[in-house]
Amino acid sequence: MTTIAPKILVIDDDPDFRTAVTAILASASYDVIAADNAAEGKNKILAERPNLILLDIMMDGLFDGFSLCHSVKTAKEFESVRTTPIIFLSAVKNIAGDRFGFKGEEQGMVGPDDYIDKPVASADLLARIDRLLKR
Amino acid sequence: MQDPLVLIIDDEESMRDSCSQILLKGRYRVETAPDGTTGIQKIRDLLPDAVIVDLKMPGISGFEVLKNLRLIDPLIMAIVVTGYATVESAVEAMKEGAYDFLPKPFTPEELRMILSRALEHRRLALEAEKLRREKKLLEDNVITMVSHQLRSPLVAIQQYFEVILSDIAGRVEDKPKEMIRRASERLTGLLNLINDWLDLARIDQGRLVGKLKPLDPGKMMRKLVEFMTPLAKEFEVTLEWSGPAGPNFEVLGDEETLEQVFTNLISNAIAYNKPQGRVRIGLREDPDFVIIEVQDTGIGISQEHLPFIFDQFFQVSRREGKKMKGSGLGLSIAKKIVEAHDGRIDVSSELGIGSTFTVRIPKVRREADPA
Repeated sequence: MTTIAPKILVIDDDPDFRTAVTAILASASYDVIAADNAAEGKNKILAERPNLILLDIMMDGLFDGFSLCHSVKTAKEFESVRTTPIIFLSAVKNIAGDRFGFKGEEQGMVGPDDYIDKPVASADLLARIDRLLKR
Repeated sequence: MQDPLVLIIDDEESMRDSCSQILLKGRYRVETAPDGTTGIQKIRDLLPDAVIVDLKMPGISGFEVLKNLRLIDPLIMAIVVTGYATVESAVEAMKEGAYDFLPKPFTPEELRMILSRALEHRRLALEAEKLRREKKLLEDNVITMVSHQLRSPLVAIQQYFEVILSDIAGRVEDKPKEMIRRASERLTGLLNLINDWLDLARIDQGRLVGKLKPLDPGKMMRKLVEFMTPLAKEFEVTLEWSGPAGPNFEVLGDEETLEQVFTNLISNAIAYNKPQGRVRIGLREDPDFVIIEVQDTGIGISQEHLPFIFDQFFQVSRREGKKMKGSGLGLSIAKKIVEAHDGRIDVSSELGIGSTFTVRIPKVRREADPA
């Protein structure tokens, strides 16, 4: 019996970054889908039901990423995909927080399952994804 | 745009009526109140552009109304009228924030003129406020935008290099691979420089160090030591921590920027160290300060360089083999952050032996402490 490759959704507005990260994910045999803004991201989450989400938080507005994460983890419309692990990708250090604490907490928002700074080291990214998918 | 709203507060009905008539002819909208209490309530509810208030009224006086008006919105203009015009009451009214003073009896012309000036003053004040807010928003946005605009392309390039260097995009020969690796290192240096410059810009605007809150310095340092241990291992250096084990004295600090300071000091201590060297991190207190020391057995700093160590861009040449990615701004940023906490940072060093950086942060005064 063949196992279906896990599907990863990459939500990032930088097309070059998406290309590079897709190459990393494909090398580990993941199936990759992409969205270039939060709204499209929302639609694809519901339509494609990815196994994991990579979310850039420095798109149009800082809170686009934060609120998308919060929605997925709390809103009724995302109930069916609530447990999908989310990793924040950040090009601006410390903007979302780190292992020391999620900064959206002050606004009452629910944070991601992990953080990773851009540019990502391929081994590091793949290890974190693997860890979350095995949970 | 609606006509300006003027509220007339006077206990005399004849005054309210005649003022209303004068103003309605001059294209103002008018509301009235027969006493101070109703007046204050109407100010809250209607937020007029100007208020004409009688000083002497039974119940709450005109002065009380002025006091309340200022608390509700200092940009609502108040014109005080009174039949008992004295220099003292005029001065008192101005002190309470009144725009001007109009003694009774006055002509319709006088009323309209004073009101017109008051509203012009209000218009200018509102405009200045709007420009101040826009300027702040712009400054905030410029920093964020510059930050994002400068970083994004570099990040994209770095990410491509990373993919190539991992052989994910196909086999790459050694020579081009080495060149790409070097190019990537230079980009990392540039990214760090941008980060540091933006930190400096923010610190100068008072925007880097956030609100100071009580924090446990021991807890913060223990976390950092744990976090920096992998880097120390990479450089074959041991990290030693000596400080209180449990929760302890508090300082007022901004956790994020203080972490930045000590991450910088500890990574310098690791990078400038000798093989199998030591970095000792200690925390202690004296009556006024919490004192944190970062001591290394490194290459040290010469006496001639020591006075410049916290200057921007000052860098002492590095240990052979291992390249740190610093920009030379780290210590100058660290110093500014510590100073923003009302603290002090000092360094002592001996060439070939090692250096000790000492940071002092004022302790939180507790109620029980003697004055």
